[in-house]
Amino acid sequence: MIQITDLEKFYKTEEVQTIALNKLSFNVKEGEFVAIMGPSGCGKSTLLNILGLLDDPDGGSFMFNGTEVAGYNERKRSELRKHNIGFVFQSFNLIDELTVFENVELPLIYTGVKPVERKKQVEAVLEKMQIMHRRNHFPQQLSGGQQQRVAVARAVVNNPKLILADEPTGNLDSTNGNEVMDLLIDLNEAGTTIIMVTHSEHDAKYSHRIIRMLDGQKVTENILA
Amino acid sequence: MIKNYFKIAWRNIMKHKVFSLINVIGLTIGLSASFVIGLMIYYDYTFDTFHKDGDRIYRVVTDFHSPQGNFNNPGVTLALEEAIKENSNFDVVSGFYQERPAKVENKAIDKVVKWPNFVIFTDANYFKIFDYKFLAGDKTNILSQPNNVVLTEKRAAEYFPNTAPNEIIGKTLVYNDSLNVTVTGVVENFKERTDFVFEEFISHPTVLQTRLREDFLNKEWANTNSSAQLLVKVSSSADLVAIQNRFDALAKEHEDEDSKKYGLTQKFVLQPLSDIHFNEAYGIYDWSKGQASRSLLTNLALVALFLLLLGCINFINLNTAQASQRAKEIGIRKTLGSSRKQLIGQFMGETFLLVVISALLSFLLSRWLINVFSDFVPEGLSFDLFKAPIIIIGIAVLLLVVTFLSGFYPAMVLSKFNAVSVLKNHLTVGDKKVKLRKFLTVFQFSIAQIFIIGTLLVGKQINFLLNKDMGFKTDAVVSVYNPRGEGEISKKEIYAEKLKAIPAIKDISLGGHAPASMSSNSSSISYVDDNNEVNTDLQFLFGDANYANLFQLEILAGRGIRNDSVKELVINETCRKKLGFTSPEEAIGKTVLMSDENIPIVGVMSDFHQRSLRSDIKPMAWRGDWYRARFSQFQAVHVSFQNNAEGNLKETLSKIESAYKTVYTDVDDYRVEFLDENIEKFYNREKRISKLLNWATGLSILISCLGLLGLVIYTTNRRVKEIGVRKVLGASLLQINTLLCKEFLVLVAVAFIIASPIAWYGIDSWLQDFAFKTSISFWVFLISGSAMIFFALLVISVKTLQAANANPVNSLRSE
Repeated sequence: MIQITDLEKFYKTEEVQTIALNKLSFNVKEGEFVAIMGPSGCGKSTLLNILGLLDDPDGGSFMFNGTEVAGYNERKRSELRKHNIGFVFQSFNLIDELTVFENVELPLIYTGVKPVERKKQVEAVLEKMQIMHRRNHFPQQLSGGQQQRVAVARAVVNNPKLILADEPTGNLDSTNGNEVMDLLIDLNEAGTTIIMVTHSEHDAKYSHRIIRMLDGQKVTENILA
Repeated sequence: MIKNYFKIAWRNIMKHKVFSLINVIGLTIGLSASFVIGLMIYYDYTFDTFHKDGDRIYRVVTDFHSPQGNFNNPGVTLALEEAIKENSNFDVVSGFYQERPAKVENKAIDKVVKWPNFVIFTDANYFKIFDYKFLAGDKTNILSQPNNVVLTEKRAAEYFPNTAPNEIIGKTLVYNDSLNVTVTGVVENFKERTDFVFEEFISHPTVLQTRLREDFLNKEWANTNSSAQLLVKVSSSADLVAIQNRFDALAKEHEDEDSKKYGLTQKFVLQPLSDIHFNEAYGIYDWSKGQASRSLLTNLALVALFLLLLGCINFINLNTAQASQRAKEIGIRKTLGSSRKQLIGQFMGETFLLVVISALLSFLLSRWLINVFSDFVPEGLSFDLFKAPIIIIGIAVLLLVVTFLSGFYPAMVLSKFNAVSVLKNHLTVGDKKVKLRKFLTVFQFSIAQIFIIGTLLVGKQINFLLNKDMGFKTDAVVSVYNPRGEGEISKKEIYAEKLKAIPAIKDISLGGHAPASMSSNSSSISYVDDNNEVNTDLQFLFGDANYANLFQLEILAGRGIRNDSVKELVINETCRKKLGFTSPEEAIGKTVLMSDENIPIVGVMSDFHQRSLRSDIKPMAWRGDWYRARFSQFQAVHVSFQNNAEGNLKETLSKIESAYKTVYTDVDDYRVEFLDENIEKFYNREKRISKLLNWATGLSILISCLGLLGLVIYTTNRRVKEIGVRKVLGASLLQINTLLCKEFLVLVAVAFIIASPIAWYGIDSWLQDFAFKTSISFWVFLISGSAMIFFALLVISVKTLQAANANPVNSLRSE
């Protein structure tokens, strides 16, 4: 599903150039659950942003479902993103002004789904995430675990082929963290490809494969299952 | 999607209540001013726009050019109508003559109406130029015979109460006791706004039976009366240049010897119908309504525009300053697939919602503002005008423009945020945006500063005008006017005698107007000595022997006049200088030539202001009532009070009125004027400008300070941690407050530097209208700058002191 070859990304300030990704290459197959690990500043998040089509690489190739997407303009990236990719963030990134229902509904609005259909889909996913009873609450009225469940619900409501999770349990206690990981496993088992950035060895063990990075390069790759 | 936008917009408004309130207040003030002023502009620009072929209707007016200056007259010589009647460029030519009969009677029911206004002598052509709806009478042969009259419905109801228009036809009215006129038509009053307010149309030939007979028989090219006016409807293929050429040729052809000698030329000009409502040079017919002024409307529109701009600037500043708070939402939306266009749409939608809320509040406020600005708002302007389609479209366009002005830049800034940066909290506020906010703040305060300086200087000038010594006694003097048309001098003398018996009255004088008034009466005179001839226009002040004494006019040489009917003059200093006398004494005994008569100068009085201080002092002479046998110029009894009489002024005035009733039968026409009030009226226009400026200043300070408050709140909130650290390190309250205020006060100071020369230039141009003016003092600028800084400091300190006083433990812990 994803093939990246010699991927490069630089950050420049007036005086220094920092290499975030240094000729990084790997593939991810459809239905895989890959964990990416490494110390802070090794380029994990940069990689995730590029995979999520939020950022553009400075060099190398990025094939998504057999199509080269490096160099896509913002409009094309946005189009591809909203139909294929769901995001789960460490800090949940829910919109404070919207209720649980409205937050989850948002991706469907941007993909142009009709209101009646939207309602059906959102309710289904909220049921699945066991958060239906909180549908009219605002994010700040929920616990961290509940917020992350809403975030996962929002990521999957569109049935994306790929979910990018950036330290999804980083802000949660172990009980809530495990619940979120279970959700991701369920999704993966249902066929969704998942790429997860994490610092937690515990969480990484849920994946099929762990890619370890340092200074923008792949150091090791462990296959778990 | 739209619903979602509005939902989030509403929640955002409610979440940031203070900022939303500041935005709404600013926009509401700007929009309210725009609504009211927009209505006024619409009102004034829709006068006489309803006439069929209105673009082909003109009034022919006369411009006079002479070495003394240029004069405009709304009338034309009666001879012109005859001369252009057959010209193919005109479809219709219609002359009319304005007259105000002393009384009109409907003898059948003993109904008497005194001094009815808006009466004209005219012919059927008038009804070809303006399309009146006839409620009764035959339009085809209308006004062709002498002693016929057409009435408007309104006037007909006054003369013939409770009578249907059809029944009025054929009835008789008696004008000025002797002229019997038959009603041959009743027309509907114009329902739309018009300056053609005439109510009574008497057939042209009837004029030959009135005092105006001679004027109409001898149509002199050199004689122009503002009451005799000419309307034309040019043909659809008319050549306006050819018409003007014909006018010029006629004027040249009929130029008389005197005009040639004195360099006086007259020019006939076509005044478009659309110009009549605005052009003060020629005037309108109902003076009580006051002439609309294009420059006043322009100034008002500018005030509205500036207030609106200030509101928009607050919006831009607060929204870009707050941008970082919304960055997360933008990042998430972008991640979830929102395009930049969709985000811009969302923010513009939010702006539009705020603008609409402001607009709704503005509708409520406008009703109140119409009262506040009643001095400017024309009498007939009503709130119903909001229903006019063009106004509704105008408002919709205005709201869209304001939305665009306020919302577009913040929308561009917000939607440009990079999703990756904002989600990682790597957002930095560009230097450019900070600079823009500073620029806009400086712009706001410059406008407020210009208004403050303007207000202070206009106030200073008004104070100067009202307090400057006019050169004669202005307080405790009243003038009682005799009934209009009263010719008998003996009655006036009896009245004056009766007043003498009132102990509170100090002095009494029979005369024309007071030394300073809106009226003038003048004639050209010439003085010939051995070497040369001096010609000048001389204004007259009519008064009996006690006139100078009562008004405390100072006689510099010679004496005052001794007898009302002896032909002699007491000239003022300006006239003395104009005629070339080196000293007042030199002028005594000399004679000037006036209407072929030699009149001796018996005295010279000191100069005083004859009109408002806008105009120079003109050559003037005090003279008696020489032609009282034919027409008396003494229309008033002037009365001054004893020094101690102020306490029971009311009682004295009632005695004066009682005495009037014993002498005159026409008690309805009792008119008493206080001289000091009349002088104050000279400056009504300046007072109106001052009032407008006060409001503009107050509102612009309010909007700007609110905007500043918003920025200060935002900045101090962002610097809470810094303030905490500084306090921990030992900074005092004052030091922290100075640190926080400095940034903003610099902006206010820059605004002062920019505003001062602009305000100076504006006020200097305005003062050019005045012959006598106050100085543009340095201290005005100083006070104005200090006032602005004071207001700004007050607003800033409200928040900075609160921030500086906060316990640093809290701010540092939360960080």
